[in-house]
Amino acid sequence: MNLSESKDFLVTSASLKEIRVFSREIFEKININEDLRDELVLAIAEAAQNIVKHGYKDIADTTDRMEIKISLKENELEIGFFDKGKAVVPGNVQHRKLDDIKPGGLGTFFIKQIMDAAVFKKDQKGWVNHLVLTKKI
Amino acid sequence: MLFCLILGNYLKTFIMTYKVTEEGNISTVFLQGEIDMDVTEKAKEVIMPLVESKKEVHLNLKDVQYMDSSGISVLIESHQKANELGTKVILKDISKSVLKVIMMAKLEQVLNLD
Repeated sequence: MNLSESKDFLVTSASLKEIRVFSREIFEKININEDLRDELVLAIAEAAQNIVKHGYKDIADTTDRMEIKISLKENELEIGFFDKGKAVVPGNVQHRKLDDIKPGGLGTFFIKQIMDAAVFKKDQKGWVNHLVLTKKI
Repeated sequence: MLFCLILGNYLKTFIMTYKVTEEGNISTVFLQGEIDMDVTEKAKEVIMPLVESKKEVHLNLKDVQYMDSSGISVLIESHQKANELGTKVILKDISKSVLKVIMMAKLEQVLNLD
């Protein structure tokens, strides 16, 4: 089954619930098992959260929107995130060391645990950042 | 005689509700719903004053269907604050989905799980 669906969301933490609902509905359509579905929803929500938390740090009440595109082609899931926040320097995107127990810094770790790859692409048109998460399913 | 005071402190936000009960020096917070970045401040507002009053805090997570890294941060922060104050936070009846995230973060040996 091939599929491609996208939706845009206001850049705010209040959109995270809506993003999870959007993602779950797509993964139900393509019959992904519940365990994997929960993991993928978490990875998507963490990536979206990073946009809100870091891409729009110190920017209150933005009216900007971010777009999330979920595609499935030949058993490869590709999830794209487009935003107009601060430009991400990929080398600066790091999770904390797991043995350094402190609040924060786990979102990127979860994404890396769940997905096969997470890459910032330079092909965005009209956007500042384009993150692509992929996973063979 | 057990003294159980139900504070009836239900607070409904968009996705998370909670209830606090007290029994002796133990406060139990029953969290319900989905805990993400949007509700972590509210979760902290509920949990941290109980920890700071040096009570033993039990977090019942049976009805938490989703928790992300922000929710995990609240668990770490409350656990560390409790350690600092000589008390503890114990996670009770952890739902399968929350346990999975705790284990993914390799925190099952760090936090107090029951």
